[in-house]
Amino acid sequence: MSFDWSAVIAALPQLLQGAELTVFIAAIGLILGISGGMLLGMLRAFGPMPVNALVQVYVAFIRGTPLIVQIMFIYFALPILMHVRIQGVTAGIIAIAINSSAYVAEIVRGSLLSISKGLTEAGLAMGLPFWKVLVFITGPLAFRRLIPPLGNQCITSLKDTSLLLVIGVSELTFTGQEIIADNFRAVEIWSAVAVIYFVMLSAVGLFWQYVERRMPIL
Amino acid sequence: MSIVEFSNVQKSFGPHKIFNGINLEIMPREVVVVIGPSGSGKSTLLRCINALESIEGGDIRVDGYSVKGGRNDIRNIRLEAGMVFQQFNLFPQMTALENVMFGPMRVRKATRREARELALALLEKVGLSERANHYPAELSGGQQQRVAIARALAIRPKLMLFDEPTSALDPELRQEVLKVMQTLAEEGMTMVIVTHEIEFARKAGTRLLFMEGGKIAHDGKPGELLTNPPSERLRDFLQHVV
Repeated sequence: MSFDWSAVIAALPQLLQGAELTVFIAAIGLILGISGGMLLGMLRAFGPMPVNALVQVYVAFIRGTPLIVQIMFIYFALPILMHVRIQGVTAGIIAIAINSSAYVAEIVRGSLLSISKGLTEAGLAMGLPFWKVLVFITGPLAFRRLIPPLGNQCITSLKDTSLLLVIGVSELTFTGQEIIADNFRAVEIWSAVAVIYFVMLSAVGLFWQYVERRMPIL
Repeated sequence: MSIVEFSNVQKSFGPHKIFNGINLEIMPREVVVVIGPSGSGKSTLLRCINALESIEGGDIRVDGYSVKGGRNDIRNIRLEAGMVFQQFNLFPQMTALENVMFGPMRVRKATRREARELALALLEKVGLSERANHYPAELSGGQQQRVAIARALAIRPKLMLFDEPTSALDPELRQEVLKVMQTLAEEGMTMVIVTHEIEFARKAGTRLLFMEGGKIAHDGKPGELLTNPPSERLRDFLQHVV
């Protein structure tokens, strides 16, 4: 059989539209997930006992269930429980945000706790309150250690959006599947889908490489 | 009028009692050198002064502020007591100059220009003008510790606390740090120094405390205590250190 380039070219506009939605869901989901995860991570590292335990349960629960189940739950079960209609894209963003926040929380906790206690003491001994030590000294240092695993998380979450095909969100994977259902060009379309993912994820990887070069781990 | 006053201080780590009623008065311009075997409570004594360690009973007052007086008192104590650590603890993302400017700008509300001028003057005082724009990782241990001293001085403290400032340094780097400390002592800075540098205690100290088992076993003039140790225990200790 021969590779039919015309099938790829014909499908490209639609696939790129799917890719756009993929990026949109991943970006918003990650912005929410990373900010939420940072807050949760700080609570895990420094929060009072009951709050800490609550976050720990949240993290255990999210990490302990498959993302695809979480997506199904948010899209099909939550509307029944809460009497709301929820759109596929919204459900996708929520799922990515919640899922990534749990992983980011652990990453943030780890990097905060890895900063030498002596630096915190040096800041405190100057008369700074703890939160200022965190904002001006230990937080920025911890952030540098966060960069490699945060890059990992962005790559994982962007790929995870492909699971949203189970709730019919027309992101890249779903779009590819729809096109194949029409033209039966599985080789061409899945190849194109893979290449588009690879290009997007390489861009994410390069972005974090750039950030790390600007803010090397100390 | 004393600048530091311990009255009946009680302190435990978990079930382990460290201090059972420490009393101590330090006067302005005193250079108090604290020696003693490891685990005797020297560092803890020092860290209680600026409330890096909390105490359970009794009180410590620094220039009138109490370590049990709440957030404001503790902040005031820490502004008056500069601290130098064994491991330097310089902020690695900042240059030497930025490390020294940090305190004036963040806790003394100085402008960038004022902080810069003060920091440059202090770096010159510790002999590191030409290293101002280097990062801690680019400095030797002795240089890092001198920057740390400048950083502590930059908040304009009334007394300086030194927690084994030369213990992490190679012998040839110790002298440059001790020299800076001796200059400070000669200028009349009140200092409390936990150290194993017996010669420094003799030369620069005005008072020597020998701690053992959480108690101040001896308290006197360095010359007298070091020349004629009044106890077997101190004599033993000095033999092992020197």
